[in-house]
Amino acid sequence: MKRTLWLGAILLTTAQPALASNTLIVAQAPVAVAKSPMTVTPDREWNKMGARPGRNSESWTIDGDGLNEVTFYGGIEADRTLFREVSKRTMPLPRFSATMLLTDIPALFEASYRIALNTPVMKIDTVAPTTFLGHKAVQFAFTYSRVDEEVRRRGDAVAAIIGGKLFMITFDAPDIFYYQRDVAAYRAIVATAAIAR
Amino acid sequence: MAVAVAVAVAMLTGAAAQAEPIPNLPPYGGAYQPQGVDERGLWMEFDEIERSFRDSTVVINDASLKAYIQQVMCRMVGTARCETVRLYIVRNTSFNASMGPNGMMIVHTGLLLRARDEAKLAAVLGHEFAHFELRHSLLRFKHSRTAGDIAAWAGVAGAGAWALGGRGAYNSVRMAQSVQNAAIGSTYAHTRDQERQADLLSMAYLRASAYDPHCFPDIWDRLMDEADATAQGRRQRSTRYDRVSFFADHPTDLERATTLRGLAVAMNKPGEDGKARYDTALAGWRAQLFADQIKRNDFEGTDYLLGQLAGAQWSTDLLFARGELYRTRGHPRDLAAAVGFYRDVVARDPTHAEAYRGLGLAQLRSHDAAGAEALRTYLTMKPAADDAAMISMLIQ
Repeated sequence: MKRTLWLGAILLTTAQPALASNTLIVAQAPVAVAKSPMTVTPDREWNKMGARPGRNSESWTIDGDGLNEVTFYGGIEADRTLFREVSKRTMPLPRFSATMLLTDIPALFEASYRIALNTPVMKIDTVAPTTFLGHKAVQFAFTYSRVDEEVRRRGDAVAAIIGGKLFMITFDAPDIFYYQRDVAAYRAIVATAAIAR
Repeated sequence: MAVAVAVAVAMLTGAAAQAEPIPNLPPYGGAYQPQGVDERGLWMEFDEIERSFRDSTVVINDASLKAYIQQVMCRMVGTARCETVRLYIVRNTSFNASMGPNGMMIVHTGLLLRARDEAKLAAVLGHEFAHFELRHSLLRFKHSRTAGDIAAWAGVAGAGAWALGGRGAYNSVRMAQSVQNAAIGSTYAHTRDQERQADLLSMAYLRASAYDPHCFPDIWDRLMDEADATAQGRRQRSTRYDRVSFFADHPTDLERATTLRGLAVAMNKPGEDGKARYDTALAGWRAQLFADQIKRNDFEGTDYLLGQLAGAQWSTDLLFARGELYRTRGHPRDLAAAVGFYRDVVARDPTHAEAYRGLGLAQLRSHDAAGAEALRTYLTMKPAADDAAMISMLIQ
């Protein structure tokens, strides 16, 4: 009996992270994301990753985070990094500032990716104006490769600065196959994004 | 036992670095083939790495830049030696170069940005070639293997002594631990000694070449200053240069600068720096190198570096890079400074569209309405710019 109790306790403690990990996001239902007032309504099922990239962010994927990943940044405050520091002492990430112009956001994103992934092969390809969450916004496309990996990755992002905080949704996937297949699902998420007033 | 341990420790740690004379160039036998099972295995491994590395996205395939660096290599170590080297220029902002045991040389763009002239680049290439010529990878591999064996057997001996027990058990275990520490430490000490040997052989190449040997110590002085600037900017304690840590695989920059300066002064040989050739060869890449460096998020280090590259006279491209650096950090005083740098650029070169872009964005971010005018100028100059629609939205 005692042994069963112990086993139960061990199972409970080990089961906790598993429970806290990935959760299913159902289609056609509004869902609040990134611990923020931002909500989206996906047009298909997604998996919400248990591990958050940073404080005000969360990631969704279909097949795995290296294959198709949508990341929500729900109100990054001034003087905060986009995601968790990789090596704060030797390679600190750049920080968001409330005074940034929309054109500064792609540059901030590029520098953050370059430093976090330690790759020089990261490029913002196009930058264009758009509307996001009812505000003036910037949308941009980027390509990059991770170090020691020859997979060419491609991504899209849309970002707006609302009340001095950065709201952004990004998508990245290998250029081959996954980007083309899943970019429509990402765009459907962005199209339904709304922010509670 | 104690004597054996003392001998083992002495063998492993080696003598402290002595001021050694510059060696004569070793005879060079041409197309060298790996000897013995260790070296053949090492070469095979690196051949495989090279095969995949050749097609990597981080490698820059600029034939003229590659040819230029190869020429510098040949001027430094001589034609016969340099022909064995395959060169790969890698987009990496750190100051580094490396050499595989099979003759695969990797040069980082961060080295090209910081070298400033041909002689300094040659000195570093010579250092890397020296590792190849002295077969350092193989010797390091063998040394590490021996040291690993000693550490493992010392562990077994210590465990055995503990299991047997008795009066001497404690001392035996302590001794075994000392041997293990010495063995592990010796692998790093050995690597540091190899770096010293490579520096010396690079000085020997410099002596035989047309380059000024004083270029070599200068590199380390500037690197220390840049590292200090970076540390200061990040509010960190700067690196200590007066001692090496247990795990350091290179001697300190200060030791290298001091030793090499002494050797250069003693050599008393004039030489060229090849700066004009260097600037011409790198002209097409400077803007890219500056942009990559600015994205490192190292404001003070980059500002120091740009200042060093500028010297007494700020060129237009350096001023523009400085403007971009200050605008990227974007504190109010940085934006004011950036506006000044961009104004200097457009005063010298009124056709510099990107400077008008930077000027306009820096002014807009400072709530200066004049920014719209500068951005309109940018759009007039580059109506088909990638970000034209975005900039138009900002000034509406």
